[in-house]
Amino acid sequence: MNLYVPIAVLALIAFGFAMFSLVASTLAGPKRFNRAKSEAYECGIEPTPQPVGGGRFPVKYYLTAMLFIVFDIEIIFLYPWAVTFDALGIFGLVEMVLFIVAVLVAYLYVWRRGGLEWE
Amino acid sequence: MNSQLLAQSAVQAPHIEYGQLAPMLIVFGLAIAGVLVEAFVPRRARSAVHAPLTLVGLAAAFVATVLQAGTHHVAAEGAVGVDGPTLFIQGTIIALAFVSSLLIAERRPDTSAFVSDAASVPGTQEERESLVAGDVQTEVYPLTMFAVGGMLLFPAANDLLTMFVALEVLSLPLYVLCGLARRRRLLSQEAAVKYFLLGAFSSAFFLYGIAMVYGFAGSIRLSEIALAVSHSGGNETLLLLGLALLGMGLLFKLGAVPFHSWKPDVYQGAPTPITALMGSCTVVAAFGALLRVLYVGFGGMQWDWRPFMWGIAILTMVIGAIVAITQADVKRMLAYSSIAHAGFVLTGVIASSSQGLSSTLFYLVAYGFTTVGAFAIVTLVRDAAGEANHLSRWAGLGRRSPLVAGIFAFFLLAFAGIPLTSGFTGKFAVFAAAVAGGATPLVIVGVLSSAVAAFFYVRVIVVMFFSDPNPDGPTVAAPSLLTGAAVAVGVAVTLVLGVLPQPALDLAANAAAGLFVR
Amino acid sequence: MTPINLIVLSFVLFTIGAVGVLVRRNAIVMFMCVELMLNAANLAFVTFARMHGNLDGQIAAFFVMVVAAAEVVVGLAIIVSIFRTRRTASVDDANLLKY
Repeated sequence: MNLYVPIAVLALIAFGFAMFSLVASTLAGPKRFNRAKSEAYECGIEPTPQPVGGGRFPVKYYLTAMLFIVFDIEIIFLYPWAVTFDALGIFGLVEMVLFIVAVLVAYLYVWRRGGLEWE
Repeated sequence: MNSQLLAQSAVQAPHIEYGQLAPMLIVFGLAIAGVLVEAFVPRRARSAVHAPLTLVGLAAAFVATVLQAGTHHVAAEGAVGVDGPTLFIQGTIIALAFVSSLLIAERRPDTSAFVSDAASVPGTQEERESLVAGDVQTEVYPLTMFAVGGMLLFPAANDLLTMFVALEVLSLPLYVLCGLARRRRLLSQEAAVKYFLLGAFSSAFFLYGIAMVYGFAGSIRLSEIALAVSHSGGNETLLLLGLALLGMGLLFKLGAVPFHSWKPDVYQGAPTPITALMGSCTVVAAFGALLRVLYVGFGGMQWDWRPFMWGIAILTMVIGAIVAITQADVKRMLAYSSIAHAGFVLTGVIASSSQGLSSTLFYLVAYGFTTVGAFAIVTLVRDAAGEANHLSRWAGLGRRSPLVAGIFAFFLLAFAGIPLTSGFTGKFAVFAAAVAGGATPLVIVGVLSSAVAAFFYVRVIVVMFFSDPNPDGPTVAAPSLLTGAAVAVGVAVTLVLGVLPQPALDLAANAAAGLFVR
Repeated sequence: MTPINLIVLSFVLFTIGAVGVLVRRNAIVMFMCVELMLNAANLAFVTFARMHGNLDGQIAAFFVMVVAAAEVVVGLAIIVSIFRTRRTASVDDANLLKY
């Protein structure tokens, strides 16, 4: 049973965070309603006509999506490490930090070279 | 099921021998440092930081390799084999990468081989602006270092998964580097697309081969595959299929016929310093990996793969030599010559003995340095549109600049295997090993195709020295210190290995004596 | 489903990918076929891992996914650069390099 205590705690924290966000945004957020806001969000019939053939995506979508995939997929190496974290100890931590640093260097490069700028 | 598996293999912290992996770690560290330089150093200063960093780092990696001499050990929990042949190959790759980096570091805007802004479309205002601004391309340095790091890991990989990752780490930067030429950008981009599509296709075959071998042996570790092969029991179909697919992937990288069609196009289209890098380092690394796979993993089934390798070696030598005759472009001709040489080296590989291994190692050193030197000369012969690569433009070069033409002729004679050059010693060594291994018919084909190859090398020499110079022909750019040094190293190694080959032969024999670690 | 069926499926996927690379003329589609081949290899890896009862194949599948993602990025960058120059992604139009 002890095994499930961390999961229960995590679920509690997650639920609490979600509730907190909802309540906080209701209390603190500005309330301005307009036409766009009251429209269906990502459901129902599309209110604006799309260009014929689906239209083309600007290259910046592609750039962002690609960068996302590369950084996203690195994360799969963190899962096996997290599972065996106790067994690997300091060694595993140091190696993982090195790995993250290498990924971070790539991120810094992308950032400095303007890969993250939308316009 | 999975929880059972996890419970069976209680996880223990792995033991990593950082000292034995130092050459690779240094080169990958250099690559990452290079990315940081790209991110934080101002554009103007980058190239001044990159070039010394790269050269000093490669020298350090070379020292680290030499310090490992005598090691015979499987490092990193069985992923990387550190042994005589591997260290010899790694040292060769680092030395060749150093010389190629001298060419890459050629920075004067008029002679730099790389486009300043690879994202700009050829022939647009954007491209012209960046040309006028005198920008130079600096991302080539980290890309080259990533590729070299992959090349170092490729022949050292003791399990097939590590080998696949190394293959991709060396290939992906090369695909990009091929598309960065400053002049004739359409050709360069086309070469990059061709190389990429065919390279990705072949590495998919390589990967599927690994999956099949894993299905047969239940392991991707070469030593355990060798065990499974010797206790033949499992599914032979999977094994043979896997070996065939693996071989396809490896033979593609070294450009053996019938997997050679990318080589002339890519060698011609890529910036010449990158062609030098591919023609020397990549070939050495691919042969190292092929040797390890065949000797360690599948040594027990020599009688299955030998006939096929015979056929491929014969095809590679003959087709490489014959098709080279019709080439009118210097870089294409050197590409076909590289294909023919891959065939010569394969005769040494097939011998599958310690002698075959040592002669292969020697041949790779000799051929690598001659190749880098020859491509360094190609960068020097220029006209208004950049390098003048068409052979007709080289007519009469020997009368205008006897020194450059003479050195190029010397390299061509080394390719042809004329005595007193390294090419002769190398060919002699591999053919002797092949005869000792009982492959005399192969050697006869090899000698005959050498004779055919000698014909087109000599034809270039005749064109350079015995025809009248073209009035508006290309000029020979005065070599800068860097290019000059690359040419000098090429000449020196080619000459020394031809006149005094014994120390190098002994070194190769020593390195090969212990064979690969299992 | 028995493992052998999965191996057969992996063969079929690999063959579809390989044939696709050979017969299609659009660089992007050829590239998608290469990705299909890689995924066929992944399927074979995990199936064999199950048959042999060890984890090597599953680890391999992880690494192959990462490599495939990196390959996609590099490949699409190259294809986009040539598309911007020529306004076409057909490999038949890339015909400047020949003897």
